[in-house]
Amino acid sequence: MLDAFSRAVVSADAKGAPIGSGELVALRKYVADANKRIDATLAITQNVSCIAADAVAGMVCENTGMTQPGGNCYPTRRMAACLRDGEIILRYISYALLAGDPSILDDRCLNGLRETYLALGVPTANAARAVAIMKAATVAIMTETNSGRKMFKGINSGSGAQCQEIASEAASYFDRVISALS
Amino acid sequence: MKSAVTTVVTAADAAGRFPSSSDIEAVKGSFDRAPERMQAAEKLASSIDNMTAEAVEAVYSKGFYEQANKDKCARDINHYLRLINYCLVTGGTGPLDEWGIAGMREVIRAHVLPTAAYIEAFTYIRDRVSVPGDMGPQAATEFKGLLDYLINALS
Repeated sequence: MLDAFSRAVVSADAKGAPIGSGELVALRKYVADANKRIDATLAITQNVSCIAADAVAGMVCENTGMTQPGGNCYPTRRMAACLRDGEIILRYISYALLAGDPSILDDRCLNGLRETYLALGVPTANAARAVAIMKAATVAIMTETNSGRKMFKGINSGSGAQCQEIASEAASYFDRVISALS
Repeated sequence: MKSAVTTVVTAADAAGRFPSSSDIEAVKGSFDRAPERMQAAEKLASSIDNMTAEAVEAVYSKGFYEQANKDKCARDINHYLRLINYCLVTGGTGPLDEWGIAGMREVIRAHVLPTAAYIEAFTYIRDRVSVPGDMGPQAATEFKGLLDYLINALS
């Protein structure tokens, strides 16, 4: 598992060169954006159940057969598993966001996820749809573009609009999950 | 690769929980110290060859160590300084531990290289760091701390 710093170290080591001014430019930006990154992570951690539940509900509304007998979210035991997985995916995305590197998401969450879902008979297209809704919700909460009240309390006051860049990084992690599923 | 962030994330994942406020504090603390560490890393990267050459010259000019080992010593000092550069960037001793110290004794013993010369060279480098000529006081503390860590591992 890597973070932005150790990613730079691993690639410098492959060249056998120390990390100089060139590589440090990107790392200094990562450090300078630390408060925004932490706020963006808080935006996820403070709204986990809301984001996951909304996404699963949205997915079910689009495919009402899912909660009927024979559907993939019937009975509630399977619906609960679905909600749980939504939260797990959000958890790994919050780790990746904090680390500024997707390796933890890849290694510990996405590796083998599609195969597991296929083996369990989980419809991956629907799962990917739920992740897409989580992405939209997360980005909206992070950038404070959601309708209604501000949904998280960051350490960096007035952070929402400044989180734009970090929010697109978060969106790229959701896209990673979607492409791993499809 | 161990760093402040990966340590926190590994612990959170083992417990299956989201990053808590204390996790976030720990990460923030590491970010706060990062600019000084990067300053030290930058200085070290730009003067790694000079630093190595000076230190090796100073140690071997005394004629106390076998001159045939001088080049190998320079190569190794350069290698260890590079790992220290990585440690300064990650903010932990991970790179030194994983790539420098694990198995180090065995390798040095097998090649009959004088660890005493290495220690002397690193001590020389440590004592020559000038504040604020080379780097700021906090950066120098981080750099010297890592040199001491390596010297301890070698002795």
